[in-house]
Amino acid sequence: MAAHLSYGRVNLNILREAARKELREFLDKCAGSKAIVWDEYLTGPFGLIAQYSLLKEHEVEKMFTLKSGRLPSADVKNIIFFIRPRLELMDIIADNIFSEDKLHPARDFHILFVPRRSMLCEQRLKEQGVLGSFVNIDEYILDLIPFDGDLLSMEYESAFRECYLENDQTSLYHTAKGLMTLQALYGTIPQIFGKGDCARHVANMMLRMKREFAGTQNQILPVFDTLLLLDRNVDLLTPLATQLTYEGLIDEIYGINNGYVKLPPEKFAQKKQGEGSKDLPTEPKKLQLNSAEELYAEIRDKNFNAVGAALSKKAKIISAAFEERHNAKTVGEIKQFVSQLPHMQAARSSLANHTSVAELIKDITTSEAFFDNLTVEQEFMTGVDTDKVNTYVEDCIAQKDPLIKILRLVSMQSVCNNGLKPKVLDYYKREILQTYGYEHILTLNNLEKAGLLKPQTGSRNNYPTIRKTLKLWMEDANEQNPNDISYVYSGYAPLSIRLTQVLARPGWRSIEEVLKMLPGPHFEERQQLPSGLHKKRQQGENRTTLVFFLGGVTYAEIAALRFLSQMEDSGMEYIIATTKLINGTTWIKSLMDRPESQIP
Amino acid sequence: MAPGALLLEAHREYEKSSQKADEYLREIKEQNVLGDAVRQCVEAAAHEYDPDTQKALMRAASFGKCFLTEFSPDQFVTTCRELRVLNAVRESSVGMPLTHTQFKQMTLQVLIDRLVYRQFYPLAIEVCRYLKIPDYQGVSRVLKHWASCKVQQKDLTDEAIARAVCAKVGDSPGVSYSDVAAKAYECGRPELAIKLLDFEARSGEQVPLLLKMKRSQLALSKAVESGDTDLVYTVVTYLKNEMNRGDFFMTLRNQPVALSLYRQFCKLQEPQTLKDLFNQDDDHQELGNFYVTSSYRDKRLEGRLAQLQSAVDEYNKAKNDFAVKATEEEMRLLRFQRKLDDEKGAGLLGLSLQATMEALMSLGLHKQAEQLYRDFRVPDKRYWWLKLKSLAEKEQWEELEKFSKSKKSPIGYLVREAPPLNSPL
Repeated sequence: MAAHLSYGRVNLNILREAARKELREFLDKCAGSKAIVWDEYLTGPFGLIAQYSLLKEHEVEKMFTLKSGRLPSADVKNIIFFIRPRLELMDIIADNIFSEDKLHPARDFHILFVPRRSMLCEQRLKEQGVLGSFVNIDEYILDLIPFDGDLLSMEYESAFRECYLENDQTSLYHTAKGLMTLQALYGTIPQIFGKGDCARHVANMMLRMKREFAGTQNQILPVFDTLLLLDRNVDLLTPLATQLTYEGLIDEIYGINNGYVKLPPEKFAQKKQGEGSKDLPTEPKKLQLNSAEELYAEIRDKNFNAVGAALSKKAKIISAAFEERHNAKTVGEIKQFVSQLPHMQAARSSLANHTSVAELIKDITTSEAFFDNLTVEQEFMTGVDTDKVNTYVEDCIAQKDPLIKILRLVSMQSVCNNGLKPKVLDYYKREILQTYGYEHILTLNNLEKAGLLKPQTGSRNNYPTIRKTLKLWMEDANEQNPNDISYVYSGYAPLSIRLTQVLARPGWRSIEEVLKMLPGPHFEERQQLPSGLHKKRQQGENRTTLVFFLGGVTYAEIAALRFLSQMEDSGMEYIIATTKLINGTTWIKSLMDRPESQIP
Repeated sequence: MAPGALLLEAHREYEKSSQKADEYLREIKEQNVLGDAVRQCVEAAAHEYDPDTQKALMRAASFGKCFLTEFSPDQFVTTCRELRVLNAVRESSVGMPLTHTQFKQMTLQVLIDRLVYRQFYPLAIEVCRYLKIPDYQGVSRVLKHWASCKVQQKDLTDEAIARAVCAKVGDSPGVSYSDVAAKAYECGRPELAIKLLDFEARSGEQVPLLLKMKRSQLALSKAVESGDTDLVYTVVTYLKNEMNRGDFFMTLRNQPVALSLYRQFCKLQEPQTLKDLFNQDDDHQELGNFYVTSSYRDKRLEGRLAQLQSAVDEYNKAKNDFAVKATEEEMRLLRFQRKLDDEKGAGLLGLSLQATMEALMSLGLHKQAEQLYRDFRVPDKRYWWLKLKSLAEKEQWEELEKFSKSKKSPIGYLVREAPPLNSPL
């Protein structure tokens, strides 16, 4: 069911199993039939840990979504709230409890806080006068959720916003705790590198937490050699650029949520014989995307321009395999063929699905609008005319293109120019307010606070230096047979991944100058291993680095790291962790403030 | 004669290098009771008080063991260790004349407890170490008791005690400095308690006691240090109830992390307090934003305009010229929209400038749209696109031609040859 988690260098299924075990234990603590009331946000991430079948085995009979008012009737002994520790949710729970039918036989209430219980929330329940109604208040420590064989995410949506706009480091505390859990399962990570203020903060907390657990020495042979902590604000540019890998584009265009994407159904209509194409499905087509699907694992990280060729090659292989049946003469051979049928049929349906997805995407990537947008992005990234008002952006505003697209472009221009001239910045801001509405003044303010938009100050534009030193722009990037990570953005090599690459070889000392230009401190820490746990490395054995992106990571960056893992001479394998899987749109959206007008 | 006695005898002869040893041994072996003999010697030794007799019996057992294969050494080893412990506690200085049976009955845990109660800490620790009891049940437990006792010594200074405790306890796992500190506090030594808390590695653990001791400032900084934001919130809520507002704000001011968290809390729960916080910090930019946000909550236009005016004032103080102008423009736009809504029922209120012009054009109110274009200095390009689209949508081709000739198009011309021309784009 989750076998793909254990294919990689590090068996992430251990983490999932640990999470499942804890969940079962909690459910068994509440004896008898149960109904779960869900904080809706949690259902997606939980789906990656346990399906309904597991809950059912432990007598979960009903599931509801948390909302005010009376709980739906359910003839169960226990009502369990699965909930994030947020005050507003506590008020809803209190309301639920007050609305209970007094005539009914009393039901037992439980709360399971995810990922951690909170005194503040319990205090709130107490103030509301319902704390005593709970038989059981517990926490379910779910920080890092395995998404794939090499990918962990906390799915903490507001992490970037909280850290950089609100100076709220709750997400970093959870990060540090999550890393401690990870170390408990996979051994102490001997080396920690980091860049950025949040990275420093997380490393400090980790080291302190380690001291707090002094004495309980971890006797597990370390699986990870290195941990690299990277602040998202060290590289604000990458998420703004349109991702050009297959998976990246699916996310940019349709949005991948907790490993699922919802697609327009038209292209997936089952054409059955004898039926017209009259009744098209109206429900969006839901596809699960992970490496369990062989074909997807093969093409997800390719530049989209190389996906067509890969699909047609696959098509040939599959039809050749089906042709084999004509060669099957003996009963034995036929039996052999039949035994392979299910696998072949799965491959064929997977191929059909991805051909349809690729067609959908192609319709967009071949459009003029997409091309124009990409051209401007690439101009910005190569430093062409970044100090003037860009006519394309101006036109997009005049055409009232989606605001987020505009914000992405303007932010990108600002980042690539180390800030915009005040006149240019004010012009853009005014255009945005006049076109999309004055209320966005708050969003613009947020973008300025986050450093995405800024007026140029006296200092020189250092972006060109950074670009040149780190080789962020590669002419003639090879999309079909890449030899450099820049293929993921057809020319632009993500800064964050370059930093990772340089760290592995030749080391950060070679780029001290550039590191100083990027925000926040860079550092290195070592964690003592108990003697006897020092790894004896086999000749030619790769090292494993866990790269943790604080504030989010894009699929294209993940693709670039996978590319580095696969390079023969890199000698390094990467496992990726993040607070949230993001793309430019979801990221900017998380930074927006939109007051609702109350005037009728 | 019991086989054990015979074995003892055999060993004695063996010591004397007498061949009788062999004789006795053979006798035992012939009856196949050598195992029993060894066990009997060991057991007897356990019940003896006199160390010399114990030794003689154990040596005999050891001697007998040599002639046995596959004989488990456990009993022998355990008894040796237990005897050492028993002999130690039977010393006159300790004075616990325990029999082996008593010892077994009361268990080792209880023995250690008794030693602890009699304050024989060094011996208790030695015993724990010698018997290899896991730290958290053994040494650490003793140390914890020792430290709790140490803090009650009235003749020593706080400094001396703290140093002594730290030197002995060090980083021993399972000794909670907070617990020791709590004891010190109970004994009326708050200063000592604070000194001890400093050694506590888990910042989170320090907080509840500090709050109890009314060291709220320290509790706050410890909570911040722990990185656990929930803990910070807890202390902040506590402070809020304990202190008067002025002191509370001052305290937060010295703790930026706590202040940010409290702001977050207020944003959701107590918007008015948020305003006071910004006021106290003279954060005019944030105050401006605050008024903008609350302006949208106002149900009447007058209220909204008043809020926006306050925003303008704050932005002015923050020297944010852009925001001042933008906000003033918004106020002007709102008034304009209201006027037209009243006059023509245009339904404009709340639209963006662009959307307002668009709506006006589609209502055929071109003059008013143009007025906005001029008043708000809309760039020609954007205005031209809008007008072009609007006229094309309504298929007002003559108007469009007139407009296109009114001056040189800032957005260029697109030549299309063949009619029908459905859209100018």
